[in-house]
Amino acid sequence: MPNTPLISIRGLKKIFTTLTGEKIEALENIALDIYPGEFVSIVGPSGCGKTTLLKILAGLVQKDGGEIKVDKESFDPTREVGFVFQKPLLLDWRKVIDNVLLPIEILKINRASMFGRAQELLELVGLKGFEKAYPNELSGGMQQRVSIARALIHDPKLMLMDEPFGALDALTRERMNLELLRIWREAKKTVLFVTHGIAEAIFLSDRVAVLSARPSTVVTALDIHLSRPRTLNVRTSPEFGKLSMKVYDSLEMV
Amino acid sequence: MIRTLRIIFSSSISYLFVPVRMKAAAFLKRHYLKLLQFIGFLLLWQIIIVLFNIKEYIIPSPLAVFSALFNPEVAAAYLWGKQISATLTEIACGFVVSAFLGILIAVIISWSSLLRSIVMPLLVFFNSIPKIAMAPLFLIWFGYGIIPNALIAILIAFFPVVINTTTGLNAVDRDLLDLVNYLHAKRWQVFIKIQFPNALPYIFSGLKISTTLCVVGAIIGEFIASDKGVGFILMDSQALIDTPPMFAGLIIIAALGLGLFGLISIFERLLIPWQRVELA
Ligand SMILES: Nc1ncnc2c1ncn2[C@@H]1O[C@H](COP(=O)(O)OP(=O)(O)O)[C@@H](O)[C@H]1O
Ligand SMILES: [Mg+2]
Repeated sequence: MPNTPLISIRGLKKIFTTLTGEKIEALENIALDIYPGEFVSIVGPSGCGKTTLLKILAGLVQKDGGEIKVDKESFDPTREVGFVFQKPLLLDWRKVIDNVLLPIEILKINRASMFGRAQELLELVGLKGFEKAYPNELSGGMQQRVSIARALIHDPKLMLMDEPFGALDALTRERMNLELLRIWREAKKTVLFVTHGIAEAIFLSDRVAVLSARPSTVVTALDIHLSRPRTLNVRTSPEFGKLSMKVYDSLEMV
Repeated sequence: MIRTLRIIFSSSISYLFVPVRMKAAAFLKRHYLKLLQFIGFLLLWQIIIVLFNIKEYIIPSPLAVFSALFNPEVAAAYLWGKQISATLTEIACGFVVSAFLGILIAVIISWSSLLRSIVMPLLVFFNSIPKIAMAPLFLIWFGYGIIPNALIAILIAFFPVVINTTTGLNAVDRDLLDLVNYLHAKRWQVFIKIQFPNALPYIFSGLKISTTLCVVGAIIGEFIASDKGVGFILMDSQALIDTPPMFAGLIIIAALGLGLFGLISIFERLLIPWQRVELA
């Protein structure tokens, strides 16, 4: 493993103030290193601040303490991040293909040169033929897959994914997991993946970081030494079972 | 902006090619009851007039109204073509300026809080003046004619456009802003790619309200002072207790309003095709 982390998080803190003036300490003290090319998953109870953590990394939420070091030599955090949000967040007034091309326009990259890539990505997420459809003609699962294609269009080095497959049915979800691993391996991306599926986290990741309930800290960062490339049957191995138990343990769910 | 418009337009064009004959047939099928109702209403009106021997200076018969509109010998006296073109010009000018001004002001006050704090109080103040009360002033400034009447139309019609557009520009899901902000979108990109298209449905509902108000404004202008226009005919005929052209005028005004409303609705469908999907 390379010794300079792509992102190094230390003592990260976030306190929200609600409209009624109440203080909510979402993140108390988060420490996490993410190395180039790594696939890191984050699991934790709902409301513990997983989304907040991703948004801070994307510069959408201001942190209230701690530091985030980014290896700016190996990637440009202003242009080389892809964010898949919890909701699809498609623009109603754009056809599917134009939704996928949105980041290209924002980053002022030539649109025509990316058209083919957009079509490839739509094919990749199983939406070939839906280029000209409007978002409200698609099911929720299809919309989320469009949003994944959109997050990949500008070929980001770092993917921040916030429960991206949460709304998909089990079968599609498994297919998407395999596709994601393929993209990750071929395109050498670094992925930070938030999920509430423990099996999904272990199946996908090099490392699983378990967050505690609010105010949250990283309870464990579990290395997953399952061989790659992984196929779905790895989940029936005893090794996989042990890892799952460890995660459940640290979530205090046993 | 051009890209946004192109995206919106390219999707609209296909809609234009829905066969027209099919639409007409479907229209008749759907609305034949209303047509029958309308004809029945006219018949009833005629019967009541004859039956109760109602004097024409109180309520004219539908035939008299029809004649005031279409019988060349009677209608010629009213110069409908000239009146309609005057009123329509006032309405059209009023509407175009209201739409343009309304959207522009909305964009300005949505763009920065400083501009908002300067423009908003002025706007609220102006809107609280009864606009009709300013008509006599316009007479002094601009004399008789199209301009003062169009101005009255603008005065009462632009405010709903401002309010609706502003609401639309600000009614953006915060998460949609995140979507472009994580890519460090510029302020104008956020505006053009997210805020403005998001506001289109709101803008159109404002424009529809504004068409109705433009008609009202133009007619009121003509009531106050004019030498042509449908409103002028209403006032002129009132002096002569000549009711058929008054009724005819009302029908024309209603038709103008309806026509303009319809036109805006067509534009709305063309520019907001994604909403059609929802309605279907
Ligand atoms: N903008 C905000 N204002 C106030 N509280 C917030 C805001 N965003 C998140 N929170 C609170 O912070 C906590 C963590 O939220 P979130 O990061 O969405 O959790 P998770 O994604 O792990 O479910 C929650 O308790 C939530 O209510
Ligand atoms: Mg969340």
